[in-house]
Amino acid sequence: MTTDYLNQDWDAVIIGTGMGGGTIGRVLATGGWRVLFIEKGPSGHRSERQALHSHVFTPDARALRGFWPTPLRAKIDNRESEFFAPIGAGVGGSSAFYAATLERPERHDMDDHPHAEWPISFDTMQPWYDEAEKMFHVCGAPDPLSAEPMPELLPPPALDPSDDALMGEMRAIGLHPYRLHSAIRYVENCHDCLGSKCPKPCKMDGRSAGVEPALATGNAFVLDDAEVVDLKRDGRTITEITLCRSGVEYRLSPKRVILAGGALGSAHILLKSDIANSSGLVGRNLMFHLNEMFALWPKKKVLGDATSKAISLRDLYHQDATRFGTVQSMGIGAGYGEILHYLRLMLTRSALSRVPLIMDLARIPAAVAVKMLGSAKVLVGLLEDYGYPENRVIFDPARPEQLSIEYVLAPELKARRRAFRKAIRRAFRGHRKMFLSMQPELNFGHPCGTLRFGTEAETSVLDPNCKAHDHDNLWVVDSSFMPTSFGVNPSLTIAANAIRVGHHLLKEARS
Amino acid sequence: MTADHIIRNGAAIVTGAGSGLGRALAHKLANQGMHVALLGRREPSLIETARATPELLHPFVCDVADASAVTTTVAQITTDLGAPRLLINNAAIYPRRDILDIPTDAFMDSIAINLGGVVNATQAVLPHMIKDGIGRILNVATFADMSPLPMSSEYSVSKGAARIFTRALIADIGDRFPDIVVGDWMPGMLATQMGIEDGLAPDAAAGWGAALALMHDPALTGTTFEMDREILQGSGLKRKLKALLTLSRPQKPRIITPI
Repeated sequence: MTTDYLNQDWDAVIIGTGMGGGTIGRVLATGGWRVLFIEKGPSGHRSERQALHSHVFTPDARALRGFWPTPLRAKIDNRESEFFAPIGAGVGGSSAFYAATLERPERHDMDDHPHAEWPISFDTMQPWYDEAEKMFHVCGAPDPLSAEPMPELLPPPALDPSDDALMGEMRAIGLHPYRLHSAIRYVENCHDCLGSKCPKPCKMDGRSAGVEPALATGNAFVLDDAEVVDLKRDGRTITEITLCRSGVEYRLSPKRVILAGGALGSAHILLKSDIANSSGLVGRNLMFHLNEMFALWPKKKVLGDATSKAISLRDLYHQDATRFGTVQSMGIGAGYGEILHYLRLMLTRSALSRVPLIMDLARIPAAVAVKMLGSAKVLVGLLEDYGYPENRVIFDPARPEQLSIEYVLAPELKARRRAFRKAIRRAFRGHRKMFLSMQPELNFGHPCGTLRFGTEAETSVLDPNCKAHDHDNLWVVDSSFMPTSFGVNPSLTIAANAIRVGHHLLKEARS
Repeated sequence: MTADHIIRNGAAIVTGAGSGLGRALAHKLANQGMHVALLGRREPSLIETARATPELLHPFVCDVADASAVTTTVAQITTDLGAPRLLINNAAIYPRRDILDIPTDAFMDSIAINLGGVVNATQAVLPHMIKDGIGRILNVATFADMSPLPMSSEYSVSKGAARIFTRALIADIGDRFPDIVVGDWMPGMLATQMGIEDGLAPDAAAGWGAALALMHDPALTGTTFEMDREILQGSGLKRKLKALLTLSRPQKPRIITPI
């Protein structure tokens, strides 16, 4: 059966079905191309609702659930650790589990960045952001601080009374909160699937807004549970994809390869296969965000849903020349379970992880926290990360299947983090608040930048249309292409760019 | 439609419905207006059970130890009554014999009914339940595995294994399909063929079992009820200590209102 599909004449083979792969597949299949998706993980059952978690730890059981099966090996500030990163591997990729926050970056993020250059302008991207917001049914309200044309967003659902009160308090102290941009359609009996698979045509992600509409055209097919293990090249052409399905290896000769395995996965396979790396930059300039979580107590107690993810504000996006990021509702309550979960995650990555019983001892601070937090809202500040060549995906031939990274928190980042915390403290001066993280918390769900695009083949891996400088039939459309990480969630940009590249490919083929 | 409506409007399956507790459970569900497929090996007993409410009680002769027969029967139930939404795994045998007297192969035959029957029926209904992820599976269980009585090896081993199956099933589907609610229920000592003479009337126990089977709170997954009361995990002291550490109130067992 597998070979039947491999031997067909596909216009494009897309590796990975997340935000980037799913979206470009839809564009191409809608444009009449014959598209084959190759997905490492399973399609899964449509009614599944599992959250992406780490207490299922056997690789098979993780793979079955659409989680990346193996732990990420990370050397952070020279300390080695292994943990399950919040990364998906199934139809929809990580986006099947995401919180569906689709926010636009700002003009200066692309046009005037002190640290890295974008080969295309914000104005070039704007129409593709419009397109992505339509495709993903984004609802929300415009950012009152933005000077850009207002995006056409769907009306958000009625605001929870406690959020409404909190937004009022924020405005009263001179802040500019707005309704977070969200790709959730809030259909009847919506489960609000933040962090878990959505069983309805409700949360719009790489699966529901990408792969499924692509399949509906009749022009696309998904080969799931199929892991790409090697790419072969002959000069400027990718000649062969080797994939492994149920322990059997298959080969196919692709016309065009579109890689979308995620910033870690795509860099991993290119390093492994020694492809597209004449610049030596494959895997480098890895960026995350720093999550700055804090609890905020409304001045007036209004009962409501503490777990809603409805508010965003950009008052701290940057201050003068210092770049921070958005502050938004975390989408979790300050409840015992949530706090315990976060404490344990922190402990897993800390030196304390070897202390016996430490995971159980975490119950005590969690219990204290929940008493103290009470009616607090948990907010998170997303601090922009800059790309540094020494922060990178590495390939270890001794562990050819495992994702591996090296990352050092730059002194500049630590200084900005301190300034960000200070700015948050100042912005919410009148409110009681408490930071929930002591150490800098990297957001391993937001990796990007490992195959950055640019005009020069010496300083970038991809050209401005996201084609590999070194090859004529290889494109990359996941978050790897991004030279900067912005102060917002990367998903909307991944989708908008995939749409842009998709239309470019269709146009190129016509002429 | 809420999950509760979907379950009540779907078909129920009660295994071992030809006598005792199974018959009483089927009657209680029919009293609630549900269509119930009665599974059992002996047709006359099933027909006898169905006599109470023939338009809602439907006999299906089927040996739960026979996996392919169960699959065929569930397919037939789906055609006749609609997709199964509620499964009560009740069928069991209790051969009382000394380990020295159990004929060759007979031990595994008992396992095939008491454990195999639960596995077979569960596997047959799950594909229907996962279509939209909504269902309820209640396994009739016992403490027989905790300290096996003499002359009860087949029963205690197979029923103990069935309890492990409940937990293993939850490990597989609990996080993926939280609206398929799975749990164990211990009816207590009953005055049935399998039970004791001065036990509880099966009809009284079935009032709790049927009520529990119709409760569809995802939080019930993994719970064990004994008669009308939830059995909480861990010792009372452990629970009090945890409550103390987490500055919360100790958990209280849920109580079933019988129907």
